[in-house]
Amino acid sequence: MKKSIKGIIALLILMSTFMIPGTSASAEDGSALQRVQDAGVLVVGTSADFPPFEFYAVVDGERQVVGMDMMIAQKIADDLGVELQIEDIGFDSLLPALEARNVDVIIAGMTPTAERRRSVDFSDIYFQTFQNVMVRAEDEEVYPTIESLSGLTVGVQTGSLQESLAEQIPDAEVMSLTDLNDLLLALKTNRIEAIVMQGPNAEAHAGNDPDLHTFVGDFELDGDDEGSAIAFRQGEDSLVEAVNESLAEIAEQNLTDDYLATAGEYMAQEAGDDGFVASYWEYFWDGTLITLLISALGVIFGLIIGSLLALMRLSKQVLVRFPATAYVEFVRGTPLLIQVMFIYFASGMFFNLPALIAGIIAVSLNSGAYIAEIIRGGINSVNKGQDEAARSLGMSKKQTMRHIVFPQALKNIWPALGNEFITIIKESSIVSVIGVGELIFQTRVVRSISFQGILPLFVTMLIYFVLTYTLTKLLNFYEGRMNHD
Amino acid sequence: MIKVNHLKKSFGKNEVLKDINEEFNQGEVVVVIGPSGSGKSTFLRCLNLLEEPTEGEIVFEGTTLTGLKEKDLNQLRQKMGMVFQQFNLFPHKTAKENLTIAPIKSKGTSQNEADQKAVQLLRQVGLGDKEDAYPASLSGGQQQRVAIARALAMDPDVMLFDEPTSALDPEMVGEVLKVMKDLAQSGMTMVVVTHEMGFAREVADRVLFMDDGLIVEQGTPDAIFSAPKHARTQDFLSKVL
Ligand SMILES: Nc1ncnc2c1ncn2[C@@H]1O[C@H](COP(=O)(O)OP(=O)(O)O)[C@@H](O)[C@H]1O
Ligand SMILES: [Mg+2]
Repeated sequence: MKKSIKGIIALLILMSTFMIPGTSASAEDGSALQRVQDAGVLVVGTSADFPPFEFYAVVDGERQVVGMDMMIAQKIADDLGVELQIEDIGFDSLLPALEARNVDVIIAGMTPTAERRRSVDFSDIYFQTFQNVMVRAEDEEVYPTIESLSGLTVGVQTGSLQESLAEQIPDAEVMSLTDLNDLLLALKTNRIEAIVMQGPNAEAHAGNDPDLHTFVGDFELDGDDEGSAIAFRQGEDSLVEAVNESLAEIAEQNLTDDYLATAGEYMAQEAGDDGFVASYWEYFWDGTLITLLISALGVIFGLIIGSLLALMRLSKQVLVRFPATAYVEFVRGTPLLIQVMFIYFASGMFFNLPALIAGIIAVSLNSGAYIAEIIRGGINSVNKGQDEAARSLGMSKKQTMRHIVFPQALKNIWPALGNEFITIIKESSIVSVIGVGELIFQTRVVRSISFQGILPLFVTMLIYFVLTYTLTKLLNFYEGRMNHD
Repeated sequence: MIKVNHLKKSFGKNEVLKDINEEFNQGEVVVVIGPSGSGKSTFLRCLNLLEEPTEGEIVFEGTTLTGLKEKDLNQLRQKMGMVFQQFNLFPHKTAKENLTIAPIKSKGTSQNEADQKAVQLLRQVGLGDKEDAYPASLSGGQQQRVAIARALAMDPDVMLFDEPTSALDPEMVGEVLKVMKDLAQSGMTMVVVTHEMGFAREVADRVLFMDDGLIVEQGTPDAIFSAPKHARTQDFLSKVL
């Protein structure tokens, strides 16, 4: 499934490039550095579920993305004399976001593989890394080397360097998942026997979880594939050069050691022993608020868009009816996931639309189509005799719709609208792919900083249930009060 | 008052009305009878253009309705009350509100005036105590009487009835017919589609017999019921009487 999403993203990017002539990458040279300095801000894309490189921690009472990579980003921004802005996006969406200009650079522990080099440029390598194997603590003696894993099931992160390294384990069956936390969970629940992971990241997890054990894997690495580098759009050489200067300084002064030490302190702080709820309730609370915000705005704007579309669809004029019908059919016939990505990435070609706004727009446009059908269905369900009675009394079409048909349609529309609201609450989780900090997104964050695989999922499930159940009860109550008969 | 010239109506290929020419005069009570499916409802609904005629014209009080602009048509419809077989009361409004909504919205009558008139009309149809009742809490006969009062609230010049008692339990037919008789006696022009032959005999000035989209025969109640000329009329009457 992940593969197909990537394919679709690529297609979207391709489409938007055709639609907007003059955005070809090579036109930029010399102006890229100037552009960033003019804007006064460097927008860095990352995927903050990768301690100690990028993860969330509370700093001065405020939650933010920290880690070694972020300290490198700060240093680069300082050297360029601009502000740093961090966009936390899912790892899979980082390259599309870069190409669609949602971000200026990617700093996410990314390995400059030959495949990636075909679509983006990389800085010098800023961190030499090593590759580990993660196993269950109880299997420490059973699987001491990569050879001992031959013929077994081994997990890797989708699209990662480790995916190709795992092929060096003889006859291993490779299972790839997007989320590292899911891999760890799969390991602990005996679905897989080992995970090939980036060294420091594996050590961070094993150090915080007594059930895990890790060792450095004896993989053959080809020179290029070692270490992490910063990704740029192709042809932005001036920016690459400037960044490489900062990286050289970091290497000279051995700053990464300091950075890693600081990151370690944050990790210890976040893995705090106050108890799970006490430590992380704020993440869930924020996520719940954003989920509710997106859902509520999605329904309200959806209602406006939907009413308009419904009226258009009820028109006798084909030219009015057709666009509305086409819109409704198209939106209902395509997944929300793609709509969200399309709005976010396509808008990135023109201006920097914050992910939250892009998410709300996508959800509203989507729910508009469904609500249009709810309204149309509600209106059609009103007995034709009602319309005739009103018209026979000399009331106009408009008056009839407004005073007679619509109030009755509302009775059918309300409950369906409530259901739509509940559906949106659940489906809005999809906007987490573009890095909107709603409930699912925050769950991912909590899983990565708490080193807990299942508990955050359970809490989130509970929150969703409480939200939808309360809403259902509320709706039933109001529905009951609305009935005259 | 209403003049029908060469009225034809088809639904797709199905020609339901085939060249009808007729005239209804001020103060006249005309009853339309005929077998089911003969086009009586369609004919009635063409009179106030709820159904758009395929051909021909309807002239009401000197104005040709067919081809009239939406806005002018709404004006003229106010003068033609209609009562439906299924009552079609507005279920989300009380009996009184059912009577006031159209005068207020389409005629610009004040709330006060509309309320007064509504109360008086509800009393006239014997439902003075039901003004705040919602339709769902009323019996069929009561609902149909409210529907008649609702049409009267617009001060119509003519009232069209489409089988107003067909959906009623037998014990409720009488109360509705009584209201209609009173209305006839007050001089209202009425066109009534019904199977109530007793009502036709007693109240009608004229009876039209429709069959297969045509007015086959017409005359005084006496002439039609006692000495029908046409074979199809005789056949129909032998079945219903
Ligand atoms: N809206 C409509 N669409 C298609 N056919 C219709 C429609 N209304 C009536 N008809 C057809 O027209 C014919 C006459 O119907 P109607 O006027 O209701 O007869 P009556 O009232 O005498 O029983 C019937 O055959 C009926 O099926
Ligand atoms: Mg009929």
